[in-house]
Amino acid sequence: MCLNIAQSLFLYPIYLHYGAYSHTAKLAGWWSEAITLLARIFATLEILHVVLIAYRGIWGLAWRLLATTSVVVFVCVVAASWGDAERALMRADRGYHLIFAAALISCLALIRHYLIRVGKAYKVLLVGFCFYSCVKILLDTVLYDSLYQQRSQYTTIWQILVISPYLIVLLFWGAALLRPLPKMREQQAVLPASLYGRISPEIHLQLQAINKKLMNFWKIEEPQQ
Amino acid sequence: MNYSAAVFASISLLMLLAIVWLTFSGTRHRPKGGRNDGSDRDCLHISHLPQIKQALADSDYLYLKGQGYPALANRMRKERRRIALNYLTCLRGEFEKLLRLARMVAVMSPNVAVAQEVQGLRLSLEFSYRYYLIYFRLVSGIAPLKAIGSLSNMVSALTIRMETAMSELGERAALGAELLPHNRGGLNAGG
Repeated sequence: MCLNIAQSLFLYPIYLHYGAYSHTAKLAGWWSEAITLLARIFATLEILHVVLIAYRGIWGLAWRLLATTSVVVFVCVVAASWGDAERALMRADRGYHLIFAAALISCLALIRHYLIRVGKAYKVLLVGFCFYSCVKILLDTVLYDSLYQQRSQYTTIWQILVISPYLIVLLFWGAALLRPLPKMREQQAVLPASLYGRISPEIHLQLQAINKKLMNFWKIEEPQQ
Repeated sequence: MNYSAAVFASISLLMLLAIVWLTFSGTRHRPKGGRNDGSDRDCLHISHLPQIKQALADSDYLYLKGQGYPALANRMRKERRRIALNYLTCLRGEFEKLLRLARMVAVMSPNVAVAQEVQGLRLSLEFSYRYYLIYFRLVSGIAPLKAIGSLSNMVSALTIRMETAMSELGERAALGAELLPHNRGGLNAGG
């Protein structure tokens, strides 16, 4: 949030001096935006690390999932936006938000799968980031495509629609951060790595056998009918 | 709006729905078990397998029909199908309990193998798919009721193997049991 305020303070005099549609203003706007987007990635990674620090194995799994999802979505985004040089920056912004949201959602799904407790404040922060990115993808796609030609109208509507979800997210963050953040927890009980290595394959072998039998369920029983 | 824009818009809407789902569906679905669902070790429904098999056998049905009581035979079949469905639900509950145990082991382990976890997820999805397939076929009455016995044997084998494996955990498993209830909330747990 501080970065966003700093960005506004930095851009305001540039817009005043050079004009909002000048090349300098464009450059300053996009570079400052890139910095805030980068900061958002670090903030999200830090929150996830704090949430999962007590579960070392799952944290290892989570960052691998984040990396894989990011690479896969990045390839898809590049393929989908290829050859559109005119709108490259807009597409890049949309691509960033898509990668960010997809990676975060996959990580939240992982947390849910392992029934890991997430502090309310952290939950609100993560969901807020994700919500804003999803809204931004929608706006970058629908609004830009349908209203860009009518510039005067586009700018006003764009500003209202981008600021509104951001303010909503800020409101939720503010409410969540009124209380002190929960303390970081150390891993409560660590099983020896060998135990996981023994039990996990055992379970999966059994599950595999069950699935195999289920697959032949009807084939076995049908002749008896 | 072109094709690409429609795809991106749909994806963003789907992701918004996913966030809502992940935020508000904290507790995972736990199928309703039988009467003993509250206790852990006393609730092994697979131990009732002989009774269920007996209930599903055709002999009683054929006998009643042969004696000239087709209405009674049909009523009995319906009731026994209901029992079989309840039993199937309980078996799923036991299966999920074992899966939760597997997850708990992963959560408490310092290193987790990606391949193992992906395989576990895939197998669990496969099981769910087949379970529901069997469930709906039983509900619709097109499944042979006797077939449920095979499913019981599968879960039975898994339970016995898991019991053996988990006995090795000793006191650490007790610590894990303490960890499980506080984990139950997931994303919806609050802080």
